[in-house]
Amino acid sequence: MNPLSIVWEKTRVNMEDYDYLFKIVLIGNAGVGKTCLVRRFTQGLFPPGQGATIGVDFMIKTVEIKGEKVKLQIWDTAGQERFRSITQSYYRSANALILTYDITCEDSFRCLPEWLREIEQYANTTVVTVLVGNKIDLAEKREVLRQRAEEFAESQSMLYLETSAKESDNVEKLFLDLACKLIREAKQNTLDNNDTANAMPGEGKAISYLSCCSTN
Amino acid sequence: MELEWNCNQFRSRKFSESGSSLLIRHSLMAESSPIKLRRCDSACVSAVSMEAISALTELEDLEKVYLQLCNEEKEVEHELEKLMGQQANMDTKMLSLHRMGPNLQLIGGDASQLSGMITFTCSLAENVSSKVRQLDLAKTRLYKVIQRADDILDLKFCTDGVQTALRNEDYEQAAAHIHRYLSLDQSVIELSRQGGESSAVDASLATLQEAEQRLKVLVAERLDEAVAKGDLAQVERFFKIFPLLGLHEQGLARFGQYLCSQLASKAEENLLLAVGGDLGERRAALLFADTLTLLLEGIARVVETHQPIVETYYGPGYLYMLITHLQQECDRQAQKVVDKFIKQRDYHNKFQVIQNNMMKGVSAERIEPRELDPVLLEVTLMNARAELYLRFLRRRMMSDFEVGDATALPGIVQEHKDSVEKLLKHCKLSQLMQELIGYYIPMEEYYMRETVSKAVAMDTYEKGQLTSSMVDDCFYIVKKCISRALSSSSIDCLCAMINHSTSVLESDFREVVYNKLRQGFPATTLQDIQRGVSSAVSLMQSSLQQGKFNTLGIDSAEVAKAAFLVTLNNVEVCSENISTLKRTLESDCAKLFTQGAGAGDQAKIDSCLSDLVNTSSKFKDLLQEGLMELNTTAIKPQVKPWISSFLSISHNIEEEEFNEYEANDPWVQQLIVNLEQLMAEFKAGLSPVIYDTLTSLMTNLVSMEMEKTVLKCTFSRLGGLQFDKELRSLVAYLTTVTTWTIRDKFARLTQMATILNLERVTEILDYWGPNSGPLTWRLTPAEVRQVLALRIDFRSEDIKRLRL
Ligand SMILES: Nc1nc2c(ncn2[C@@H]2O[C@H](COP(=O)(O)OP(=O)(O)OP(=O)(O)O)[C@@H](O)[C@H]2O)c(=O)[nH]1
Ligand SMILES: [Mg+2]
Repeated sequence: MNPLSIVWEKTRVNMEDYDYLFKIVLIGNAGVGKTCLVRRFTQGLFPPGQGATIGVDFMIKTVEIKGEKVKLQIWDTAGQERFRSITQSYYRSANALILTYDITCEDSFRCLPEWLREIEQYANTTVVTVLVGNKIDLAEKREVLRQRAEEFAESQSMLYLETSAKESDNVEKLFLDLACKLIREAKQNTLDNNDTANAMPGEGKAISYLSCCSTN
Repeated sequence: MELEWNCNQFRSRKFSESGSSLLIRHSLMAESSPIKLRRCDSACVSAVSMEAISALTELEDLEKVYLQLCNEEKEVEHELEKLMGQQANMDTKMLSLHRMGPNLQLIGGDASQLSGMITFTCSLAENVSSKVRQLDLAKTRLYKVIQRADDILDLKFCTDGVQTALRNEDYEQAAAHIHRYLSLDQSVIELSRQGGESSAVDASLATLQEAEQRLKVLVAERLDEAVAKGDLAQVERFFKIFPLLGLHEQGLARFGQYLCSQLASKAEENLLLAVGGDLGERRAALLFADTLTLLLEGIARVVETHQPIVETYYGPGYLYMLITHLQQECDRQAQKVVDKFIKQRDYHNKFQVIQNNMMKGVSAERIEPRELDPVLLEVTLMNARAELYLRFLRRRMMSDFEVGDATALPGIVQEHKDSVEKLLKHCKLSQLMQELIGYYIPMEEYYMRETVSKAVAMDTYEKGQLTSSMVDDCFYIVKKCISRALSSSSIDCLCAMINHSTSVLESDFREVVYNKLRQGFPATTLQDIQRGVSSAVSLMQSSLQQGKFNTLGIDSAEVAKAAFLVTLNNVEVCSENISTLKRTLESDCAKLFTQGAGAGDQAKIDSCLSDLVNTSSKFKDLLQEGLMELNTTAIKPQVKPWISSFLSISHNIEEEEFNEYEANDPWVQQLIVNLEQLMAEFKAGLSPVIYDTLTSLMTNLVSMEMEKTVLKCTFSRLGGLQFDKELRSLVAYLTTVTTWTIRDKFARLTQMATILNLERVTEILDYWGPNSGPLTWRLTPAEVRQVLALRIDFRSEDIKRLRL
């Protein structure tokens, strides 16, 4: 292999058949419906008798947004406490986190601050976080008012969406909106990076280490 | 067919109807119109019309027409003769047709006779088959009667047999009778009771039912007794009787209970031995893993031993039920082992201390990573054993189900599969292991981070090596940690550790390297220009001769320079090592997959590994930045003045000066010596690949600077020749120091030399445009003019007038 090509070719050719690749990690208490959301989105079904997830499950779905192929790598994590350390190892490389709770379960909502602490500790600072209130088909059993959740999400500068994996409400929207947002951020990022690169003429002592240190 | 062919013959020959059969006439009539048409055609055939003849007056004309008409007549006659000649042929054909007439009548008669026969046979057949149906019905009924008679006889036989057997305590025989009774058609028995012998049958039934109840109680009691006594032979004896009485579940439950009690006592004994600590010291570190292994192997052996008897006496599909019972005991015993492990190894406490350390909070207590080695190993071993055991159970249960599932509905097959998965995935043993692994991961991560930062802190540089110790050390540690995680056989655990390794390499480790590079290659001072980097390298080498020196805490610029070069080498090796690590892990994981991990697991590992290998390119980027820095601070400041000294050597020269330059090289040889000296220092300190890349950066710099400088000079014809000579020497030298093709980088300069060497301005046209031949011009027309203008002897009007 020609060593120069390693050194000079900063833009590597993308051999795969997609324009963007994003990692999305679902987190949240056990039983809030993470797996159901993922399976609804990736397979278009609501699995009857879905058992608790063991460790993490990994699924891929490629979607097209405004003519661009976006490959979504979706990591569905287990909510049970004993899998927490496995889950934590996936935060750092995530582009987006879907923090899920169950609107019929006050407890799952009250655990959100704890999840936010985890995000703070392990995730990348540029990660996009969406708060999702699932199971809105069980309206009569609702324990967490929409307004309360919206206010909480806003105070933490998170997007907020209510879904039903069972009735397929807002599930597509959740993932597609997220993909759109990630594309926008990625485009902004490359723009910023080019700016810094242009600002560095390569002369003088200071070199642009920081531009190559950009978050992935 | 033949008939039809003949018809056509007649038609085309315009044959008369004479002597033709009815059939032929009929066909001719149907086709009469074309014949008329033909006649009309033939009337017009004569070339001369009547009117034309009458109009003729000249003899000559008349004779001509007459001759013509004679000729025509001859032709017609000839044709007529030909037609007559065929008449005989036609007659014979007609004769044969006549002869066929009676035959056809015969065939007609035969056919209607045949049809009558077929109709008759058909009704006969229908008749017979309805009789057969009746017979069949009668036969089935007869069989049923025989069956019922048999059943009633059997009932009697069973009733007698069961009592004798019970009297003789021959439980197997009694159970066989009951089994026979149970397999009788209950509705038949019901019917029999309504029949003439109702009272007799009723009595038999009552006896049998009573015997059945008695036997059930008896067998259960005897089995319980045998279980209590631990009499395996008796246990097995009664265990075999249960399915005959339709008590599969009860039998398996009691047998399971027996096996569990056996397992429990053995397991408790083993645990006591383990905790007693009088086991050989050698295995002491793996005490609990060993104890768990003994437990699991014990259960596997029980399954292995008793699978045949269950299969034989209970049929396929019942192993699952037995294992459900055994698993309960397994869970209980595993819980005990794990509890003891946690207590004795201070597992939770260790985790807590580590957790506190990692939260970056100040904590008084710290754990030496080395101290964690044994416990980390033990946990992975425990999990590996549990996985092995669960895989064994899965295989056994699935193959047991498969025997019966061959004919079952797909839904049932899936149901069986799901229940097996549910049993294995959600059993207490799995849960216990998941908990242990849950603590293991942060501890392994701590081990890795701490050890890596230790390796970085103790970084040393050995003589004769391009890299320092921390690169090899760090990769050794990362590999060790991932391998340990892999040895747990838990794919989620492995993936988590790959993720943490990526993080350690990309953040922690890369950070260190990045900070070292950011300190930069010390800017070259005036003295440095004379000493070059040589002092740095020689210092590095001399200090190496005394042994090792620490690359941290550098104060002198020379050591900083050496450190910078070592760091560059480190970065390159890191990038290589990451790729190697990924390949190694891939082949290690392949072994895991031969043991039956799923496709989803493979995808997870692949994804995590591809993140890991992506860090390799981040190190490459860092290397690139570092080389640019080196080029900017160490090469450029030196090379620039060497090249600009070209300006002080006049190239506006005549023969005499040219000859003197020939004898006494004014510039290029010194430049080559300088470059050689400058690069020699880097050659010693950098890996060949990095050095080569640096050389490439240097040659780029040289060609760029040369270009700029040349454009500031003026040239005479001989000055141009001088420059050409100088450039050739330079290119020849540079070609020897690098594996890159220099020619391309110097293409523009070479073309400038060509221009400066021209005799006349217009001579450029011999090389330009359509005359360029294989030469690709790298200079724009404007640049060509600019270079031409450097020649003092070229007139600017000539240059302007050039059409390029
Ligand atoms: N009514 C209703 N039930 C839902 C919905 N989504 C999930 N559930 C049910 O909630 C239960 C838990 O769903 P899962 O998707 O397994 O939950 P999870 O978050 O993946 O749980 P863990 O894997 O243990 O972390 C299942 O019984 C689902 O049927 C929903 O939108 N509506
Ligand atoms: Mg789940």
